[in-house]
Amino acid sequence: MKPFDPVTLAVPAFIVLVIAEMLFVRFTGRGRFEVRDTTTSLLMGFGSTIIGAIFAFVFVGFARLIQPYALFHIGWSIPAVVICFLLDDMRYYWWHRASHRVRWLWADHVNHHSSQHYNLSTALRQPWFGVLALPGLLFLAPLVLIGFPLEMIAFVHGLNLVYQFWIHTETINRFPRWVEAVMNTPSHHRVHHATNARYLDANYAGVLIVWDRMFGSFVEETAEDPPHYGIVGNIASFNPLKVASHGWVALAKDLATSKSPREFALYLLGPPGWSPDGSRDTSDTIKARWAEFRAAQSPAE
Amino acid sequence: MNGQVLQLLISVGGIAVMVAICWALFGRALGSLPSADVAAAALARDIPGFQTGVAAVSRDGRAALIEDARDGAIYLAIIRGGDVVTRKLSRGLGLVRSGDRLELRLKDFTLRKADLDLADAPAWETKLKGLAA
Repeated sequence: MKPFDPVTLAVPAFIVLVIAEMLFVRFTGRGRFEVRDTTTSLLMGFGSTIIGAIFAFVFVGFARLIQPYALFHIGWSIPAVVICFLLDDMRYYWWHRASHRVRWLWADHVNHHSSQHYNLSTALRQPWFGVLALPGLLFLAPLVLIGFPLEMIAFVHGLNLVYQFWIHTETINRFPRWVEAVMNTPSHHRVHHATNARYLDANYAGVLIVWDRMFGSFVEETAEDPPHYGIVGNIASFNPLKVASHGWVALAKDLATSKSPREFALYLLGPPGWSPDGSRDTSDTIKARWAEFRAAQSPAE
Repeated sequence: MNGQVLQLLISVGGIAVMVAICWALFGRALGSLPSADVAAAALARDIPGFQTGVAAVSRDGRAALIEDARDGAIYLAIIRGGDVVTRKLSRGLGLVRSGDRLELRLKDFTLRKADLDLADAPAWETKLKGLAA
């Protein structure tokens, strides 16, 4: 079986679907677009592809380095591709969860969340400096060490990314209950992109939402609290270079001012928002304050 | 033609077409803060429990200063595109007043400067002086 790159093949479909969504939103009002925001997202996607291709050797090099230690040598077959896809989806869940909980990884992943809009162009707002998020490599290791061919891992991951494109939309409300129970859907992923306290750090799934249900990070979208998109402390720039680097610049500043190895380590590996004096907010402190506020609003009988 | 070059051309052409259509359909959003309520709503979204205290909106409707009545913390709300971006003003703030114009300089990579045209600029300058560098 000769693999192909699903993302490359899907690019024309991405373009057609983004245009179709714009037309749909224009005539129904279900969703929002803003030309500078969309341009930034599209340029981020383009830059990510170019820079990703340049630095692909880091990921391939790492995989080739550990490949000799693989437990098995798995060949191409339909069952192998299906199992590889499922394991890659679970691997993606944990990488994604870590990318929201570890500042070093968040410095990169924050770019994808930096738009206050949620439409198909947001799906293409991808980071440029993923090569700096080195711990992310560790999440690649298990599949390589099990013995799946690198081409198969790249192929199934490409499928995973293509799937995730279409869920970045406000134009679709909900699917039948059984679909929402198993699959990652626009509704589940809206929650993931929301900054509402109740939705923070939830729904990390790529394709199957069952990982979130299994590992306790699932939150249902609710009509009484419509999602507001973006990040805690939204960025105030449409400049793609600033968008791509703002997380790294902020991290570098904090590391440069750290006063001890412990502070340095916690800035790097602690949750986004961690600070030595607790003066900044993490998602945990925001959620705790929100819970307190809600309790005060509706005291128990 | 080389496949990669073709792919690149499709991407660049696709971006140009998508941006042109987006411009034609939605234009360039010019958000504004018609009143302090809009800024307060944005802050209430960002900060659980936020309670609006004293507030002032710049005459151009592009920015506002607003106090949290609970602890006196002062926030900046500023328009970017069609959306509102908020920041808690903290120590190290640069502050220049010239008549009714108040210029804030922040240590923020994506929001370095904010200009406000306020009827009560001197009063806000006094409030913010404690945070100024």
